[in-house]
Amino acid sequence: MKHFDSRTALAMSLVLSGAGMAQAQDAWPTEPVHVYVGFPAGSSPDVLARLITEPLAEKLGQPVVVENKPGAGGVIGVQQMLAGKENYAFGTTINGPLTTSPRLTADVGYDVAADIAPVTLIATSPLVLAMAADAAPGDVAGFIDAAKAEPDAIAYGSVGQGSGAHLTAELFADAAGIQMLHVPFASYAEVTTSIIGGEIDAGFMAPSAALPQVEAGKMKMLGITSSEPFAQVPDVPVIAGQADIPDDFRAELWNAFIAPAGTDPAIIERLNAEVNEILKDPAVQEQMLTMGWQAQGGSADDLSQRISDDTETWGAVIDRVEAQ
Amino acid sequence: MTAFDGLMHGFSVAMRPDVLIYCVLGVVLGTFIGVLPGIGAMAAISLLLPITYYISPEAALIMLGGVYYGAQYGGAVASILLRLPGTPQSAVTTLDGYPMARQGRAGVALFASMISSFLGSMIGIAVLIGLAGWLSNAATSFGAADYAAMMVLGLVAASTIGSKSPVKAFAMVVLGLILGCVGTDVNSGVQRLTFGQTELLDGINLVALAMGLFGVAEIIGNVRAAEREGSPPHVSLRQLLPTRDDLRRLPGPIVRGGALGALFGALPGTGSTISSFLSYALERRVSRRPERFGEGAIEGVAGPEAANNSAAISAFVPTLTLGIPGDPIMALMLGALVIHGIQPGPLMLDARPDMFWGLVVSFGIGNLILLVLNLPLIGIWVSMLRIPFRWLYPAIVVFVCLGVYSVRGSSYDIAAVAVIGAAGYLLAVARFNPALLLLGFVLGPLIETNLRRAMLIGRGDPMIFLTRPISAVFVAATVALITAAIWGALRKRREGLGQR
Repeated sequence: MKHFDSRTALAMSLVLSGAGMAQAQDAWPTEPVHVYVGFPAGSSPDVLARLITEPLAEKLGQPVVVENKPGAGGVIGVQQMLAGKENYAFGTTINGPLTTSPRLTADVGYDVAADIAPVTLIATSPLVLAMAADAAPGDVAGFIDAAKAEPDAIAYGSVGQGSGAHLTAELFADAAGIQMLHVPFASYAEVTTSIIGGEIDAGFMAPSAALPQVEAGKMKMLGITSSEPFAQVPDVPVIAGQADIPDDFRAELWNAFIAPAGTDPAIIERLNAEVNEILKDPAVQEQMLTMGWQAQGGSADDLSQRISDDTETWGAVIDRVEAQ
Repeated sequence: MTAFDGLMHGFSVAMRPDVLIYCVLGVVLGTFIGVLPGIGAMAAISLLLPITYYISPEAALIMLGGVYYGAQYGGAVASILLRLPGTPQSAVTTLDGYPMARQGRAGVALFASMISSFLGSMIGIAVLIGLAGWLSNAATSFGAADYAAMMVLGLVAASTIGSKSPVKAFAMVVLGLILGCVGTDVNSGVQRLTFGQTELLDGINLVALAMGLFGVAEIIGNVRAAEREGSPPHVSLRQLLPTRDDLRRLPGPIVRGGALGALFGALPGTGSTISSFLSYALERRVSRRPERFGEGAIEGVAGPEAANNSAAISAFVPTLTLGIPGDPIMALMLGALVIHGIQPGPLMLDARPDMFWGLVVSFGIGNLILLVLNLPLIGIWVSMLRIPFRWLYPAIVVFVCLGVYSVRGSSYDIAAVAVIGAAGYLLAVARFNPALLLLGFVLGPLIETNLRRAMLIGRGDPMIFLTRPISAVFVAATVALITAAIWGALRKRREGLGQR
């Protein structure tokens, strides 16, 4: 075939690859799917991810492999997802790497708007304001009064500079018109120990971190940062609207399912539908709640909106903290 | 419930056939992952975690616990035979264990390490039963200032171990402190010495550092030596047995190491690596002939091994009595409980006594199994030395890479091991002791965060270190130690002048 020229070859290869693409979409996934998690096995983000990936594997008819790539507050997990195979690498992440990390870390190596395709919100978690059981303030108003006695009268613990616990406390301080002393720790375990030991006064923390100590009579919870009471700790009053705190005060951590920006839109749509269905399962909701998470779900656009809203809110808090 | 009732109840849980099987499984697995350099309890437990979904929570915790303390037994094997610590906790065991092996006393060193591990664990268990309540109170009353002062004392006390030249020792400690600074500063969020690499934001991987400095550096160093040497010396059965003198030297270090380990294990965040270092430093100080240390002193094996095992047991004190995990591995174990819907916390002891006492009894059973398992294995481990280095070393390098990768699934860490290994070889050639670098690396960040935290809490007033009683005692001890060292050095110089 001497006249089999390059143009024919090109046309043929185009036809072939076109057919291949169509087939790939119909049959997706044809191989195991990888979900990157930026935290170690056994951590709360990891357990959340596994609650989703196990039923997801059944629905997709392919194994869904959780890849734990811990480090840099979850940023490494997102980086590794972006380096993964197209249409087969996804991720679940906490809010930090998508909202505050690009501000706080010199170079995260990705641009959230350009490189990340949101799939769906998985769950949200409010924080509670906790103190030692024998501390004087009995409610949020009393806490604010005590803090107003003098600047830095109250020392609070967080899980690190720029962590959700730190930024939430600063958001609260700004809303309440108070100034508190920030003492960073590495984990909630250390923060609770320090509060019980009387070294620091307070801390914003995950309800599940405070609850065991509250039940043992060692700590108390003054308020919660969600806009509605939270099912895990239904008796804790919402902070919004108390004392001079505005009614729209709200601070929540969240966990979301994401994909690299180049992912086939049909696949994102499929994943959104499947994950939302999984989140409707009462057993999954129940398990999330015992860990202090409220199952959410929603559209990809909802998640986009949340990312941009939170980037703005927390960005403003970071600006204030940096200006201090 | 009295301790006696508790123990009886614990037996009924721990002797259940299913629980017993998982206990055996855990300790056997622990021994082997401990022996393999680089692969540690952390990696093994995270791999086992998904399995625990399907077994009872008691069996799950007992198995994971078995892996944790079982690894402390195995860790010493490679430290003694190859100067290659199986786990960072047993790095200090290389200092005297390896010289013993070179003197043909590998069997004795392994025996000492096994028996010390066992008795150290028993001390830890006794503390867990008798003093759990007291220790958990101690853990909450220890503030940042107390931690900082205690760690400074530890650093000063241990900073001359394993080195003849004080200048070289000091240089290594400082280098370790600097390497410990790498990563994100907790207080300000500023990145230090990361050179823009995201992988360094959480600091240098401890396992990569330990494996590079000891393992890879040792292998590079031995490649040339192995070409020259013939087969390693034949070890007869007689040489496996400790002499009466050896046995006489064991009880002291074991009791002191066990006690030290029990204290450090119970304090969240300090851990067994530090307790093994401090036990070594303590043994050298109380010894009448400290110059024997580093030349194959059996006390230098017994103390640290008793300490790290005791610490592995007492680490369960804050975890079980307060619901506060002292290290990432303990956090993982709590995660296993959360999966089963058990919320760890101060109430767990009352709400789930089967959990606590079952675990305590299983520690006893597990350690007995480990002793019975490991004593006969000594002969087999020693015969490993007869494997030609050209077969052994490539295999070890593979295991080191696997182990380091398993910590957080990062190929960056494997490259780090290679770089650290090359640097470690140069340090070894120049006769610097890497153990001190590791000491600085482990203690430095703890001292820094606690010191700065204490200053923050004290609103900038350094008197917080003297007004808190625990801290004041440590500060006084540190000052006494430094004064004694300076006075000793001055007197030596004066005597030298007098003779002239």
